[in-house]
This record gives sequence, structure tokens and C-alpha cells, in this order.
Amino acid sequence: MSGSLAGAAVPSPAAGTPALPGFPRPRARRRELGLLLAVAAAIAVGSLSLGLQRTGRPEPADPAALALFVGGLLVVHLALVASGRRVDEVLLPAVALLAGIGLLLMERLPQDLVVQRIGPWTLGLGELQLLWLGLAAVVATTTAVLLRSDRWLRLYKYTWAAAGLGLLALTFVFGSDVNGSRLTLQLGPIAGQPSELLKVILVVFFAAYLAENRVLLADARVRVLGPISVPPLPYLAPIGAMLAIALGIVVVQRDLGAALLFYAVFLGLLYLATGRRTDVVLGLLLFVAGFALLAALFPHVQQRIATWLDPWNDPLGDGYQLVQALHAFARGGLLGTGLGAGLPEIAGRPPVPAVHTDFPLAAIGEELGMTGVVAVLAAYLLVVGRGLRIAASSRDDFRALLAAGLALVVGVQAAVIAGGTLELIPLTGITLPFVSYGGSSLLANALVVGILLALSDAGPEPPPPPRPHRASIPRPGRRPETVP
Amino acid sequence: MDAGLNLVLWGIRLAFLGLLWLALGLMARALLRDVRTAARAPAAALGRLIVVASGGQPAPGTVYALDAITTLGRDLGSSVVLDDPYASQHHAVLTFRGRAWYVEDLESTNGTWVNGARVAAVAALGFGDEVQIGEVRLRLERGRP
Repeated sequence: MSGSLAGAAVPSPAAGTPALPGFPRPRARRRELGLLLAVAAAIAVGSLSLGLQRTGRPEPADPAALALFVGGLLVVHLALVASGRRVDEVLLPAVALLAGIGLLLMERLPQDLVVQRIGPWTLGLGELQLLWLGLAAVVATTTAVLLRSDRWLRLYKYTWAAAGLGLLALTFVFGSDVNGSRLTLQLGPIAGQPSELLKVILVVFFAAYLAENRVLLADARVRVLGPISVPPLPYLAPIGAMLAIALGIVVVQRDLGAALLFYAVFLGLLYLATGRRTDVVLGLLLFVAGFALLAALFPHVQQRIATWLDPWNDPLGDGYQLVQALHAFARGGLLGTGLGAGLPEIAGRPPVPAVHTDFPLAAIGEELGMTGVVAVLAAYLLVVGRGLRIAASSRDDFRALLAAGLALVVGVQAAVIAGGTLELIPLTGITLPFVSYGGSSLLANALVVGILLALSDAGPEPPPPPRPHRASIPRPGRRPETVP
Repeated sequence: MDAGLNLVLWGIRLAFLGLLWLALGLMARALLRDVRTAARAPAAALGRLIVVASGGQPAPGTVYALDAITTLGRDLGSSVVLDDPYASQHHAVLTFRGRAWYVEDLESTNGTWVNGARVAAVAALGFGDEVQIGEVRLRLERGRP
């Protein structure tokens, strides 16, 4: 469909200059189609398992939702085929697998966890998740197909940084408190979590800043103490500012997860850009020192750490969610209880209150067992691996750092919340990318996938080899007689 | 719930987990294949373009890794942006066809020169040849450093 439109815009080759951009001819993506079909088959069987558990009849839990999900995947696939761009073919199926598991989970959980009225319809959890997934697919596809130049991302890096800080300030001033964290911004009828968008904006800024100052940061060093050297002060300032922002988020928004995510991604990118391990170690030490200071000053940080060290100290209060999550993992065992066969709700509520946003991994652990949890983690690994591969084959530093940063955002976020749910690190309220319920999270992560796909564009295909040589083209080695 | 249904239920549950892992395995295989292909590829790029001399930007010594189609010109959308007063917006294009590089002059005002000779329309390039556009002189080299 876009072929005919763009084709009309290209001037005819008869003008003398060859039309280099060319027609966006549809390009088959067989590998992606095959992988998407495998994912669709897995999700269909999962839906069947849920339906059979619920009704005792062999039918999918929600045939319409299943059909819409699989249809949506095919539409995205066809849009990418029609665009003719040579973009990555594995990223989309890996993300679709995670989204499918998330959708099954939202269909399985009690539908009245989240209810919204849109016009005449009243939508429950599963339907809302499907709606957000649809919008996310639109965002990802549009970005992947239309994002061709990275110049506007790279040139306005300080504008992006300012916009991100503005978002943060807006949330602080106008945001509303949920569970003690000031995360949600209400703009008219639309409520959203700006820190989800902020992570994309900050990665763009980091990538542009580090790509521009890479050589300076790596080579112009000022010795401080023995083997420890730091970049000159003017180039150090933004790094210090970043640390201040991360700790500021903890203080102002009481959002440990976002702070950890931003800082970890920043250190990862710094290492990728300069290749200096001492910088990373120094950054980690600074972070630990800052964190210790915060823990000494603020009670909510102390409380999180105390809960992490011993959730059974207060199993009905602070440690309640974590204890329930750990029990859910224990009930699941190796193969899980099966979709829909987990512990029934206690008084109509699931035992873990935030199971659809922060604790989906606990529900997966209970109903799909360790096999399912490791499958989900493996899918994240595939997404990150693919992102780093895109970074490695990028044509310049900015694109490489941007791709690596976006992949790291997804990976670190998944690691932070998975580690928190499994009690490896202090629990922080943050979503499991692509799986958790939530419009902001799904749309921001869709944007990440869209940009990654656009960055993976391998460019126009190499032209076919020429016909055996023509007399009109001088061959190398034979020099013309006339010299100007 | 009777035993038969339970058995079917467990079968479907295990099939779900199995299919999940099958899909993941297929994706992992695709990744492995890509890595192997990349490792087997003879050179990282088809060629490199080295700036030998210029009036300013791009600075001499700059190295560009070349795609199969590389555009040169003053236009900021070009693969190699030439900030030179004698360069046209869309000045020339380097293409790799089959086994050889070709430079094509896109009807530029001041022309494209290969080893001191003006290019009529298209000229084949060998590795080591010098292309001159305005004051910028570029040398084509092999992809592998």
C-alpha cells in the first residue's frame, strides 16, 4: 500500500539522475512469518489450556481475543513486508511471545482488577490489555516503517534531555501518589506514567552525548590518585548530573526502580562507549555511597531494604506481597499448576494485589512453573541479544549506542523486577516489559521495539552484478590520455 | 474432575510449555545462524573510503565504511557529507556491483575526478584509486584494515 504512494513521489528516472531511493517494493520476510506462526501456535495452545481448565470443554478461553492477537501479529508482519525495509526478523516474534503470555495472564486474572468505561463499553483487564497491545502494535509498526533518519534524534539531544527533566518536574508538581510513589500524571482524561517515556528519552540523550564525546571521555584523562583517572571536569559534569537525577527520582518520586534502571543503563552505555572498567567501578561505588546516604536519611528506603532482608519479619504488612509471591513460586514447582489452576482468590482478590503490574512473574511462576519463568527470561535474553547484535552492526557510534541502550533498558528493567520478585535484590515497583498490564509501559516499550527495528534497517539491497563489461565503461588500470 | 479430562489437561499444559520452548529454540537458532554468517563474512565492509586531503570537513584521515550504495555530496542526507564549496548537493554515488566498485557522477557542476581524469558518467574504481570532488580527495581501500 505504501509502495504506490511513495512510488508516485519519486521523480522519474528519465530526468537523468538515477532514482536512488527507489520504490519500497514489498519484501518477503519468511523467517519472521515462521517464527510468528510458532508463537501464535504456542499462545493458541495456552489459551486452550486456560479454556479447558475453566469450562471443561476443549475451547480457547477467549476465542475473539485470541483471533485478534494472532490477526494483529499478521497485520504487523504484512505492514513490515509492504514497507520493503530490511529490518530485523527475530525481534518481533520474541516480543510477541512475551506479549502473548502477558495477554493470557491478564485473561486469567480476575477481570475486575482494572475496569474502565470507554463510551458504551465496559472493559475488563483482559480486554484493556488487548486494546493496549493493539495500540502498542500500531506505535511499533509506525516507528519501524516511518523512522528513516536519526538526525532529529541526534541533533536535539539537549532538547530531549530538557523535555525529560520537564516531564519529571511535571510529575512531581502535578502527579498523584499511588502506593507512596509519585508516578502517575493525569492530563485531562489520560493518565500515564511519564517515567516509562522518560527512559526512552534519556537513552536517546545518553547515546547522543556519549557518541559525541566518546573519544574525549576515553582518552583525555586527568589523574587523581594512582591508577584512578577521570575525564576532565567539563565532561564529567553530565555524568554527575545523571547521578543526581537518579538519586533525585528516589527522593522526589520515591521510585527506586526507575532510578536503578536509569543508572544501570547509563553505566552500561558508558562502558560501551569508553571501554573503561574503572569508570564503571567508580560509578557503582558512587551509587552505593549515594544509596547508603539515602537509606540513612529516608525511612522508605530503609523499609524496602529491611523487607528484602527478611520479608517474614512482617508477613502481613510490609512483607505481604513478597511472601505471597515466594509462596506462589513454591506452589508452581517445576511445571506449574497449569493456567487458571493456581491458588483461588482470597475473598475475590488474588493473593498478590499488584499481580497484574509488578508481580506477573509470580503468577507465571505459579501456573507455568520454573519452566515458564525461565522461558520468559530466555525471551528477554533473546530481545537483548538481538538488540546488541543490531548495535554491533550499526553504521556509526550514535546508532550503535542507541540500539544497545534501548536493548539494555528492556533487559535491565526485566532483571530489576524479576530479581525483586524473586527476592534477589530489594523489590522496586516497576513493570515487567511487554507482559505487565499498563498502557504507559506497553506503549513506551513498543516505541523501544519500533526504534530498534528502524535502526536494524540494513539499507537497500546490493544491486545485482553487472552484465559482462561494456565498452563504454573504462576499466581500472587503463588511464585516459588527457590530464587536466 | 474425572481422570480422563485431567490427563488431557496435563497434556495440553505440557504442550503449551513445549511449544513455548520450541518457539524460543527456533528464535535462538535464527540468532545463531546470523552470528555464524557474520563470522564467515570475508570482510566487515565492502570497502573503505579514506579522506586524503580536504579544505576542512571531512577532516583528512577520516575513514568511512562503505555500503553497497554510498552517496556523496553536500546534502546532509548523503552517506558521505562533503562540506566543500565546489561539491554539488548530490554529487556522486559509489556502487559495488558484483566484484567491482563504480563511481557515477550525478551531473555535478564541477565534476568528479578519478586519478586526475574527469568522469564522463560512470567509471570503474580499483582499490587504491583516488576520487576527487572539489578540494576533497578520497582514496578507496579494501574493507579489511
